[in-house]
Amino acid sequence: MIGIREIVATALFMTGLAQADGGIEWRHRAARDAVTLTANPLGTASRTAFYAARGFAEAAIRPYAQACGFSFGMQNGGTRMLTTQLADWHALGADGKRIALHSPEVWDATWEKAGVPQPARIAFRWAQFQAKNTFEPGDWIMGMATLDAAPAEPFRLVARYADDKESHEIVLDRLECAHD
Amino acid sequence: MKSYSTDSNAPMIERRRFLAGLLALAAVPLARAQGRGMTPLSPPLAASALRLKDADDQWVDLANLRGRVVLVNFWATWCPPCRKEFPSLGRVRKLFKPSEFEVIAVNVGEDPDTVFSFSGNTEFPVLFDRDAKAMASWSVRGLPTTYLIDRQGRIAYRATGGREFDDADIVATIKQLLKS
Repeated sequence: MIGIREIVATALFMTGLAQADGGIEWRHRAARDAVTLTANPLGTASRTAFYAARGFAEAAIRPYAQACGFSFGMQNGGTRMLTTQLADWHALGADGKRIALHSPEVWDATWEKAGVPQPARIAFRWAQFQAKNTFEPGDWIMGMATLDAAPAEPFRLVARYADDKESHEIVLDRLECAHD
Repeated sequence: MKSYSTDSNAPMIERRRFLAGLLALAAVPLARAQGRGMTPLSPPLAASALRLKDADDQWVDLANLRGRVVLVNFWATWCPPCRKEFPSLGRVRKLFKPSEFEVIAVNVGEDPDTVFSFSGNTEFPVLFDRDAKAMASWSVRGLPTTYLIDRQGRIAYRATGGREFDDADIVATIKQLLKS
């Protein structure tokens, strides 16, 4: 159960961030040409609370909530359509080990097997950074994602995207999983 | 209009979960900028059927709005960019005559009480896509996704990710559709 103290602590934490910039800030940001990728680590408590409020049993969501996870936001400020596939993204640990991102479809199969209610699965599915995304000019898409394992820290995240001509990489450096 | 009490009688644990969910939502930070403009579909595509119940349990059918320009917005209360752009739906709605322009907000996967606790009374219909079937038939790839439907019932523009719908670019687009 999430205690009131924990809620207040989270609120104060977020207030602190908001005061720093007049709006809540992304902790990690990288840009390449007109494409921006942002990320924030997501803790176990916040994800447990979020999905419990959407109908998940706390035991069911635990593997997801405890996985190294982030909220990602990606914006196409350019003039070309872009595509991403989460399968093309990976983390590179300080030890050089490459770790893939966990597919939202694989999580959903887990929820189906565990009998998670449909409304909860719908909320989960659409709260994730989708396995495949298309970014028209001006589009800005965000969502959560987890890694298959916690990398040696700090690690970098290599995110690939493609336009109509070639593929590109954006790298977020010095990432760490949330530890709560 | 059905009224919903904001003074919930839910047990304390549910209230805590709800609060925790909202705070967890805040932990998924907002980007400082929403996207801009909407992407034209050339040629416009016939819009899929959209017939869902509103908060008063009344059916609303997009087909009955033929002849007007309609902005259809798929959203959820747990989606940060959806929450950010939601007030602009009401603002843009007020810029045009109801006989010419309508806004339909399609909530995905949530119940009326949850939605009302965020939206309050709105001047446009909020419909409930509880099983996300409408979202699937409209090929929505992420939340929020918004479509501009022309007077002929065709999808003329699309946007994925947050927008401010009273932004000059989008208002000009609506005006242009009203002339066509």
